[in-house]
Amino acid sequence: MNKAFKIGIFENEEKFISSIKSLQEKHFSIYDVYTPYPIHEVFHLLKRKSRLPTAAYFFGLFAIIAVLAFLYYTSVLDWPIVYGGKPFNSFPSFIVVTIVLTIFTVTIASLAAFSARSGLYPGKENTIFDHRSTDDKFVIVVNTDTLDNLESGKLVTLMQEEGAVEVLDKEYESINA
Amino acid sequence: MYNRKIRGPLVEGNKTLSQISKEILNPMETTPGLWWYIAFGISLIAALFGFYAIYITVSKGIGTWGVNNSVGWGWEIVNFVWWIGIGHAGTAFSIFLLILRQKWRTSINRAAEAMTVIAVMSAALFPALHMGRVWLAFYIFPYPNTRGPLWVNFNSPLFWDFIAITAYLLISISFWYLGMLPDFATIRDRTTSKIKKAIYGFFGMGWTGSSLHWIRYESLSFILGGIAAVLVVSVHSIVSTDFAVGIIPGWHTTLFPPYFVVGAIFSGFAMVMTLMVIVRKIYKLTEYVTDNHMDAIARILVFISLIMGTAYSTEVFIAWYSGNEYEMFTFFRNRITGEYTIQFWGMIICNALVPQLFWIKKVRRSWIGLLLVSLIINLGMWFERFNIVITSLSKDYLPSNWVSYNPTYIEVGVYAGTLGLFAAGVLLFFRYIPIMAISEVKSVVNIGDKKED
Repeated sequence: MNKAFKIGIFENEEKFISSIKSLQEKHFSIYDVYTPYPIHEVFHLLKRKSRLPTAAYFFGLFAIIAVLAFLYYTSVLDWPIVYGGKPFNSFPSFIVVTIVLTIFTVTIASLAAFSARSGLYPGKENTIFDHRSTDDKFVIVVNTDTLDNLESGKLVTLMQEEGAVEVLDKEYESINA
Repeated sequence: MYNRKIRGPLVEGNKTLSQISKEILNPMETTPGLWWYIAFGISLIAALFGFYAIYITVSKGIGTWGVNNSVGWGWEIVNFVWWIGIGHAGTAFSIFLLILRQKWRTSINRAAEAMTVIAVMSAALFPALHMGRVWLAFYIFPYPNTRGPLWVNFNSPLFWDFIAITAYLLISISFWYLGMLPDFATIRDRTTSKIKKAIYGFFGMGWTGSSLHWIRYESLSFILGGIAAVLVVSVHSIVSTDFAVGIIPGWHTTLFPPYFVVGAIFSGFAMVMTLMVIVRKIYKLTEYVTDNHMDAIARILVFISLIMGTAYSTEVFIAWYSGNEYEMFTFFRNRITGEYTIQFWGMIICNALVPQLFWIKKVRRSWIGLLLVSLIINLGMWFERFNIVITSLSKDYLPSNWVSYNPTYIEVGVYAGTLGLFAAGVLLFFRYIPIMAISEVKSVVNIGDKKED
């Protein structure tokens, strides 16, 4: 079954935000919004949260333990060599390598997590509801599959009242996101 | 908090959002002028000279360089540290200003990061060549090998240096690329050319600008920014330990890590300034990189210049105060006076004195003034590295070891080659990647007007 969407297009950030607010007041569920730049108010309104910082913390914890274990294994267990009379497990001088490799691991792992969670990778083609949303338009997308004609009509009027320059009607066979 | 009334708008000319996309993408969408081809040609010639020098170095060995038993580190290490220093700007600029929430970074960070990536690549070439047998460079990777397995020395600053620079390069590229995602999507959605749409669509990774993409993007930027800020400080500290752990007069000092980090940021910001003065002039982007932006960089430079001056005088003072005759000799008889006075006084004049011109508003506001002073700082930072590397090595504890050092044309060639590669890289960047982070510029266009700011 095709999925039907109403796509409200706004030119102005304030009108766009107030439109999100009134759609929410009228209990329309917003599928997603598309903007040319991040707007923090939108994150609050749509209750968007990212758990990446937590994930990054655990990547870091893992990396610290893994790197120190690796250094201990190579320098103490596998092939101990005396450098300048220092102990095999010369912890203070392992710190530098540990810091750098931890930072490196956190970066790569966070990027991978971002890519996996958001479904973004080279060559990926996602559904773009309106091509102007990466340029200068603010776009609100509402899924109308569960709405009857009357409600859809209300939705369109509401967005137009709030200052949408256009309200498009589009159907997709499947959504890539 | 950005007070627009006091500091002026970040983007001048009351631009609409689509105007911003159009004007920033303009250099990519139009064919470049004749100047671009001439500049690119010159850089390629320099790069070819560099390749020839590298060919000679690799095929005949580093005996073709002017280095000798006493001065084992010549121009290569001078240039390595110089490039790494320049390579610090992008990340320092972009990340420190990101985590300090300085919104004026938005129109400059992309170019600064591009510069970082290309400069670090140039830098990495030197230690690789300095190994002599560059085809054995992979020995430095700690991997289970057939030689034992014999592991690398994890206590050696030279190894720290290797991992720091490798990590720094990869992280800088990641951070740079992440910032480009929304802009590639903008190009993909605006362009009419099918090839461009395919290429930028591929690299744009299916970015749509949905609220979910944006919040994850922002939180990832802060994570990468926060941890890479540590890296900026650690990389050049590690470079400095290459010297500081050596028991050579003039090197063996605890001042080195902060002195190197500040010096790196100094030279990097100077290079950012050189680049931005030229970019805003050529591409007529003065409304994006306003006089206020340049003014802000100039103020940072004059501040760092004072730190540099303090570091130089501290070094000399400690040499005298320590009462160590070798330190005294190195500083007073081999730097302030003696064979290498040009480099020493060049360093003092270029880094500590000339930037003081930035106290004058007229200099901060004239592009000629900005360009000249920033170039002089870059020259001065080169002198500083020469001063550190060569003077200390040329005359150490045993007078029988004393020698002079002069580079051969092969060494000059490698340096010229990296300059050429750098210029060519920057020129290609102008043509194929948006010069400024379009989405970030859009987000600050009305800054200071709204209540939340």
